[in-house]
Amino acid sequence: MTMDWTPVLQVILTGLIIGGIYALIAVGLNMIYGTMRLLNIAHGEIIMLGAYVTFWLYTLYGISPLVSVFIVMGLAALVGAVVCRWIFFPVISASKSVAVLESNSLLIFYGLSIIFTNTASLLWTTDARGYSYLTHVVHILGVPLMTNRLWAIGLSFSVCVFFYVLLQKTMLGKAIRALIQERDASLLVGVNPDLIYYFSFAISFALAGLAGCLLSMFYEITPFMGMPYTITAFIVIVLGGLGNVLGSLIGGILLGLVETVGVSLTSPGWRPILTYSLFILIIVLRPRGIFGKGVY
Amino acid sequence: MSVALDVLMWVALTESWIILSGYTGYISLGHAAFFGIGAYFMAMTWPKLPFLLGVLAGGVVSSVFALVIGLMVFRVRGPYFVILTLGLTEFILHVVINTEIKLGGTVGRILMSAPSLTTLYHTMLAAAAVAVVTAYLVKNSRFGAGLFSLKEDEEAASALGVNAAFHKRWAYVISAFFPGVVGAIMALRHSYIDPYNAFDPMVSFQVIVMAFLGGMEDVEGALLGAVLLTLVSEALWARYPYYYMIIIGVIMIVTVKFMPLGLTAPLKGRLLARSVGGGADSA
Amino acid sequence: MALEGVEFTVREGEIAGLIGANGAGKTTLFSVITGFHSPTDGSIRFKGQDITGRKPHDICRRGLVRTFQVVRPFPRMTVLRNVAIGKLFGKECLHDQKRAEHEAYEILEFVGLAHKAEIPASGLTIADRKRLEVARALAAGPELLLLDEVLAGLTPAETTEAMTLVREINQRLGITIFMVEHVMKAVVGLCDRVMALHYGCKIAEGTPQEIAQDPAVIEAYLGEELEI
Repeated sequence: MTMDWTPVLQVILTGLIIGGIYALIAVGLNMIYGTMRLLNIAHGEIIMLGAYVTFWLYTLYGISPLVSVFIVMGLAALVGAVVCRWIFFPVISASKSVAVLESNSLLIFYGLSIIFTNTASLLWTTDARGYSYLTHVVHILGVPLMTNRLWAIGLSFSVCVFFYVLLQKTMLGKAIRALIQERDASLLVGVNPDLIYYFSFAISFALAGLAGCLLSMFYEITPFMGMPYTITAFIVIVLGGLGNVLGSLIGGILLGLVETVGVSLTSPGWRPILTYSLFILIIVLRPRGIFGKGVY
Repeated sequence: MSVALDVLMWVALTESWIILSGYTGYISLGHAAFFGIGAYFMAMTWPKLPFLLGVLAGGVVSSVFALVIGLMVFRVRGPYFVILTLGLTEFILHVVINTEIKLGGTVGRILMSAPSLTTLYHTMLAAAAVAVVTAYLVKNSRFGAGLFSLKEDEEAASALGVNAAFHKRWAYVISAFFPGVVGAIMALRHSYIDPYNAFDPMVSFQVIVMAFLGGMEDVEGALLGAVLLTLVSEALWARYPYYYMIIIGVIMIVTVKFMPLGLTAPLKGRLLARSVGGGADSA
Repeated sequence: MALEGVEFTVREGEIAGLIGANGAGKTTLFSVITGFHSPTDGSIRFKGQDITGRKPHDICRRGLVRTFQVVRPFPRMTVLRNVAIGKLFGKECLHDQKRAEHEAYEILEFVGLAHKAEIPASGLTIADRKRLEVARALAAGPELLLLDEVLAGLTPAETTEAMTLVREINQRLGITIFMVEHVMKAVVGLCDRVMALHYGCKIAEGTPQEIAQDPAVIEAYLGEELEI
């Protein structure tokens, strides 16, 4: 008698789907932290907005979420650039020390977070919303999977890989990595930080928007859906090391797998406990992340 | 009186928060955890323990908890500390949810025969007063001088003999006492608690906003920030909750952008200028 | 920077010097002595007691106080408060803040900063910051004072003043001094004995004159200008 591997594969595939999205979210969050040392606690709200935009475009105009991906990413990047220009440039130049900038940015991002959440509640009520799209089931190695999840895994992984290549191969990517790793030195050798700050905000918000777009295809949308993702993304970037972009990619996938495997062995109620204890253990024991290359 | 009770609650929470986070610069997002611990302590012991004893014990339990986790959380600083305290709060929240489900099958608890609003009010008044006095005494003490030196430069301070670990841990313990007390009182005020309202991260954030409006390390400023924001919230919250929150968000951003030293800083500057040689803030 | 097999004794009452090229491990050695890094091997003894692995604040209270190469005043505190911190938490552990400030003021007079007692430390010039760094360390009540390049970056006139100060600390206050210095004039002019480090290893020890003629030291310094 041969063992049935389908349940195991099922868990792994589910883990990879959610892990890919975690990676998207965390890579974005880590971009802003890495280049500017700002912790964006409104990151989840961008995901939420991305999900709503996708939802409305689909329900009102019938625009496919796979098309919305581009619209949402473009809009989110624009919002990111505006936030960077109008709020953060003045605050960065006015903050006298890193500690002051840290608490100031925390407050600003929190302010943005509650503005976004409550504007969404005001405009679209707090009712949970959802739609079905691409629910056709295909079988991968015997595991039944909806097509929309297949798109999610494909898109999140290819965007992550694309982004990684961008960082490794292009001039802009090299300048970004230089700024993340050797901040003072790279400023000395003439890396223009303003351009990179714009780019970091735009990319970070675009990735969050994309994540929202993908999540909307199979999860409920509410104005409050963002915060748990922000916290999850914190966990991931701590896992992979603050400022370590490749680390958050691997960390995201790892956390997705650990969560789904953990839940399949215990019960869904245990998922947050599992996640948070992992988070606390890692931050206390290996504050520079499991790969030990975090920037602090 | 119900408004006054809320105002006093936020005063106690904000004043206690600045003792650790304002004075040392370790921004904690964990005040909600201590609030929840106090609230749950009350929920589990009421009405077996007398009211005042329960309230005090709520604070003590919360302090003891701070003492224990203080061994761990101060291994990290900066943004790590911020998100660790946030994560710890969420962790405790979910542990409480799971325990409650296992124990009773539901997550909420109803507290019967709570003391009168007047009693609660007077207790809260006492808690707020003690918090203000404590924040003031700590700020002007030798211990406080140590805390401020950590905020400026932790390594340089330890090179001068400041025991950084000791200072941070005990500031944390003092700071945690008040949210424990306040949580215990508020559990009876609402006569119902569930993990979500007891461990609401909004509490931690709101405290930061109030402290920030007051200039982060300033006893009078924190008082002013707490009173102002609570009054604005009372005026708007019930009727226009979303607008209120949006306004708070805008206030936060605008304040940081245009008044990075807090709302009260310009006010204080004017007062200082008027009083001749009015003792420059030494900290 | 790793250190390997460095053995050196500072004798009571003397001014000992520590020289070496950039990256020789001088500051690392200071950090190991004062508890900011723990050595993987070996021990540090102070007044006959093993202080290896003790915490920085504990070592400070035993009378072994360091300054930092890149000076680290508490920027938003006044100069007087900066020094008072040393009085409050250093060896004397004063509990009376008034008295601490009073005694801090006396130290400021000694180092020549009393006229700036009430301004915030962030408003000081480089030379004054270095004075403050020394004043703060003195307030902590050292028996052995570790000075990490207090003369670097000063003008010739300021250097002479600072050298006088170091000598006074040693002779009038009776404090033993162990100093890292790049300025060779100061090393020769102040130190009784000198140790030279190179890539984390001790290469020579002796009087400044012996060190200046030591072939290993000369070789180690080849390619780098000796500062005058």
